[in-house]
Amino acid sequence: MNNLLIMPVIIPLIVGMVLIIFPKNIILQRALSLFAIAASGLITLNIMNQILDDGIQTLQLGGWEAPFGISFVGDMFSVLLVLTTCIVAFCCLIYAFRSIGEKNEKLYFYPLFLFLIVGVNGSFLTGDLFNLYVFFEVFLLASYVLISLGGGKKQLRESLKYVFTNIVSSAFFLFGVAYLYSITGTLNLAHLSSRIAEAGQDGLITTVALLFLIVFSLKAGLLLFFWLPGSYSVPPTAIAAIFAALLTKVGIYAIFRMFTLIFYHEPQVTHLIIGILAAVTMILGALGAAGFMDVRKILTYNVIISVGFIVAGLVSMTEAGLMGSIYYLIHDMIIKALVFLIGGTIILLTGTSNLREISGLIRRHPALGWMFFIGALSMVGIPPLSGFLGKVFITQGTFEIGYFWLGGIGLLASLFILFSMIKLFMNAFWGETILTEEEEKGSTKGLIFPIALLLIFSLALGLGAEGIQVYVAEAAEQLLNPSLYIDAVLK
Amino acid sequence: MNSFYIILFLPFLFAIIVPFLFKYINKRIHTGWFVLFVPLTIFLYLLQYIPIVAKGDTREYILPWIPSLNINITTYIDGLGLLFGLLISGVGTLVILYSIYYLSKEREELHNFYIYLLMFMGAMLGLVFSDHILILYGFWELTSISSFLLIGYWFERKNSRYGALKSLLITVFGGLAMLAGFIMLILMAETYSIREMIANVGEITNHSLFITALVLVLLGAFTKSAQFPFSIWLPDAMEAPTPVSAYLHSATMVKAGIYLVARLTPIFAGSASWFWLVAGVGIVTLFYGSFNAIRQTDLKALLAFSTISQLGLVMSLLGIGSLAVYFGQSENGILFSAATFAAIFHLFNHSTFKGSLFMVVGIVDHETGTRDIRRLGGLMHVMPITFTIAVIGAFSMAGLPPFNGFLSKEMFFAGVNDVANAGVFGLEQFGLLFPIIAWVASVFTFVYCMILVFKTFTGKFRPEKLTRKVHEAPFGMLVSPIILGLIVVLVFFFPNVLGEYILIPALAAVLPMMQINASDFHISAWHGVNLELWMTIGVVVVGILLYKTLKGWVKLFNNYPYRLTLNHFYDQSLAGTEQFSQNVTNRYMTGSLRQYLVYIFAFFVLLLMGSFITLYGFQFDFSKFAPIELFDIAIVIGIVLAAFVVLFTSHRITAIVTLGAIGYFVSMFFVLFQAPDLGLTQFVVETVTTVLFLLCFYHLPKLKKNIGKISFKLTNLIISLAMGATVTILALAAFGHKVFEPISYFFEKSYELAGAKNIVNAILVDFRGFDTMLEISVLAIAGLGVYVLIRQGSRRREQSNETK
Repeated sequence: MNNLLIMPVIIPLIVGMVLIIFPKNIILQRALSLFAIAASGLITLNIMNQILDDGIQTLQLGGWEAPFGISFVGDMFSVLLVLTTCIVAFCCLIYAFRSIGEKNEKLYFYPLFLFLIVGVNGSFLTGDLFNLYVFFEVFLLASYVLISLGGGKKQLRESLKYVFTNIVSSAFFLFGVAYLYSITGTLNLAHLSSRIAEAGQDGLITTVALLFLIVFSLKAGLLLFFWLPGSYSVPPTAIAAIFAALLTKVGIYAIFRMFTLIFYHEPQVTHLIIGILAAVTMILGALGAAGFMDVRKILTYNVIISVGFIVAGLVSMTEAGLMGSIYYLIHDMIIKALVFLIGGTIILLTGTSNLREISGLIRRHPALGWMFFIGALSMVGIPPLSGFLGKVFITQGTFEIGYFWLGGIGLLASLFILFSMIKLFMNAFWGETILTEEEEKGSTKGLIFPIALLLIFSLALGLGAEGIQVYVAEAAEQLLNPSLYIDAVLK
Repeated sequence: MNSFYIILFLPFLFAIIVPFLFKYINKRIHTGWFVLFVPLTIFLYLLQYIPIVAKGDTREYILPWIPSLNINITTYIDGLGLLFGLLISGVGTLVILYSIYYLSKEREELHNFYIYLLMFMGAMLGLVFSDHILILYGFWELTSISSFLLIGYWFERKNSRYGALKSLLITVFGGLAMLAGFIMLILMAETYSIREMIANVGEITNHSLFITALVLVLLGAFTKSAQFPFSIWLPDAMEAPTPVSAYLHSATMVKAGIYLVARLTPIFAGSASWFWLVAGVGIVTLFYGSFNAIRQTDLKALLAFSTISQLGLVMSLLGIGSLAVYFGQSENGILFSAATFAAIFHLFNHSTFKGSLFMVVGIVDHETGTRDIRRLGGLMHVMPITFTIAVIGAFSMAGLPPFNGFLSKEMFFAGVNDVANAGVFGLEQFGLLFPIIAWVASVFTFVYCMILVFKTFTGKFRPEKLTRKVHEAPFGMLVSPIILGLIVVLVFFFPNVLGEYILIPALAAVLPMMQINASDFHISAWHGVNLELWMTIGVVVVGILLYKTLKGWVKLFNNYPYRLTLNHFYDQSLAGTEQFSQNVTNRYMTGSLRQYLVYIFAFFVLLLMGSFITLYGFQFDFSKFAPIELFDIAIVIGIVLAAFVVLFTSHRITAIVTLGAIGYFVSMFFVLFQAPDLGLTQFVVETVTTVLFLLCFYHLPKLKKNIGKISFKLTNLIISLAMGATVTILALAAFGHKVFEPISYFFEKSYELAGAKNIVNAILVDFRGFDTMLEISVLAIAGLGVYVLIRQGSRRREQSNETK
């Protein structure tokens, strides 16, 4: 039992609830939100080291033993993601201070932001399938409101699609929970794993597994990403960045959890299907990223490519592949927030997202330009930047099991990432400078710092890979050995 | 940390302080003077390894990066690495010295320039000394990136951006292919170290992935070294400032591919595919480059094609040399080792004469303001020193004595002649092609060398076509090309000094399986009247004839349609990719929610029914099902009817009320199945939502007629029916397939456990109280959301009222 596990959920939840009472006091809102995120992050860091020393940490809520109550489980994979979530949220929050606008700040932006984090962190930490559903609802509800913040016509239209798609997927989720409970009689993830291992994963269970794959693919944007490009393009920058960084990752996390812990017995069916989905996702994402001359579109389709790429590592189910996925997942959360913040800043400065109307920003904004450039290279996986290890190990993983097509598509996709990002860079930052200081629509004051902070984290992740390698290796090890998870929960 | 690493990283470290030097000192002293110190130090430092390597020793250092993954910056200094290291730092020194005079300290953004250049230098050094294959890949990509930045240095120019993107896409494409090949090598040999791969080469050659890895790795090498058909990026890379062209795009970076081929020769050589790919692509490139160089009117473009051609020459020599591995330690083996030796020798020579030629062209450009040979001419008298250097460089490239190019060219001829007689790998039939293509290409080479020198420096001086007043370049700008020119001449007279200390150790590194006797590789300018000499004489005679008649036949080139060029292909495929991508994406991303739902449901049905039928089959166990009563049937009919009414009504109120009715029917099921408390809850929920809906709808405009009637669509009907069927079938199957006892028995003891007589309540507030707390939070968030939306709406209305 480790009570700390609930902290990354409960601190932002309580702080968020308290902040609802003081909507007008912006200073308090900012300070407490920042505090909640930072405290969650620091506690998570602490849990991480406990896991390293003592193995997977658990908490049985209300003291009801597993599988009857709700279990919270912190394995290294979850906790790494929680920590990254806190880092990204921290930076986006600082960016929001200067960019979200006073009117939104008074309209409960901060509580909603914190609730979003509650949902995300909770999804990573819970060890119970139905509780996972509830946490999904928490962050989805918060995201429904955040996405329409500002209330533009286009924004409302896209939010509607977002809400609809997610309601459909929530319904699917419930179907899945019901089917699975009917067959196995339990909802605790560890218990599910051990029961299915005991009885064998028959065709019906595999079918239900695929139902869950659909549910989480809808959330992750794996193949079923139609809602994503529109809805990630409309909200204010800080929110779009946190969406791009976190929301698809929750879906990816759930896919990993399901198919490493529970449904890992028929990889020739389930994992092959996941591989095909990943490949198609990468291809479609790459086409989307390459085809447009629009800052937002390029960036959102890049989110889709990376979803396919990360999941490709899961397909291999080898140590290299999973390690690569974990590296890339952490890297991608940070880097997507980074490029979305920069993209938003470009739009703020120029008032347009059409690349044909933007040019030569680097003269007046060299820091922004070079940070974007480094971010882009990192996405392509140029060493020693943070995307490198992920790229190498995911490719190695797919090669190890003989899925050369999958690894090959992954590498080719990174060429498209390069093309789209460099196109963005060359059009926006290179060329003749067309805007003078007075003509710019906004100011970067206070916006550079959070971006730089993210960049520092990203660089540290790449250069200091040795520092987090023990954690990543441990996480991959735990994912590959479901018994570790089961023993920790059901002991 | 070994001092070697300080030297290796010196360029990167120094790059950090360059912006400060530029900002504070550049007004007085050109930043280049400080940067000059970097390659010079490296060069002097590396000199100490010459005696070590010449003795046949090597040095190895390790700098840990991610030791737990075995990814460390392991470096290895042998003859090959050292040769490249000396070239990189040596030419680097000269180029930076040259750039100080070439780039104005007032007008140029020198800090950018020197940071990129230092980044490149560091990457290139890292590349040639790395033993760890992933680190090698890293430095490889870094050279592509820095080359991109340098080509795009004048980023306001459209052509610079075009060239930069082209080079980046092509070289990174190759890099990624190479990475795939490397990962295969890693999996085959189970090591990251190139030397260990070479030691366990048997594991690799017998592996099924051998050929795939070989091709992928070569893709990397060919794109980087501008081999046909990937050569198209190099001419456009000439948009970079000339010192960059001299450095990256002739002396060093484009030789990275050659380095890689040489480095991996011990792994791949000896196979037919390696020979044919390397030698074949090389010789085609040699021809293609020399052929295209002739028709260029821009001096830099001419040099670019000439570089392509010369790289092809070296590449083909390496391919021919790979036969040595096939023949092993025999007479033939030594014969073909000589080709590898010639490759290394020519690689060195090319760096010297091509470097000097680029600098000459830079000087001409700098002093006259143009590089167009149609406007140039007669510069010999105005710029005598430049002219002299141009003659040295160009004649060396043409393969004339007394310059170093003559020596290596003769050795090249010897190599292709040997191949014609090798008699393996199908050379019996095609072997003769090598000497023929080589000879023709050499004639072309001769011709463009003459064009380069004589069109620029002789003929009539036409100052009226030039924008500037022409005079000889400042002395500082001439120093570097003079030094290179001197080396060109000195190497001709003393080739074996270079051979003994630099080239033979490099050869030993490329062919570690051969016993290298220095006496077998003695370079001499005169080896009697043999076939090679006749070939050279033939080149000169035919070349002069062709040059004299140039006007007559060069026009033929212009008839070649642009549509058929590789450049056109690149442009088209780039634009085509964008257009295609856009079309595909727009085709399925229609923005219509209904469309997206169709995709999702169709996928749902296909995947799940497919899996259900193939993996499980239609198995249903109805034994545990409750019997169907009359009530049930009645309720079901009620639900179906109500659902149809919702679909077809054109009144909102009717729709809402019938929706409520469906809810009440469902609640009835709870009652029937003996869950009265759930039934009650459901009743309350349905009542509240219906009332809320009605309240909202009071404020909405009337439902439009056309929305009221849904047009009939067959696909939608099929999908919705299939969707319903799938969910139902799965539910029935899952219900009949209870593998385990549900855990709910535990909650039956709720009174003992939690003191609650009502199980549902105990579950809600105690066993799973956490869920309930979160659901309450969800409600709170939803309420907050409604409030926020309404406030936004009302504020917008206020604003629009104000603007009215």
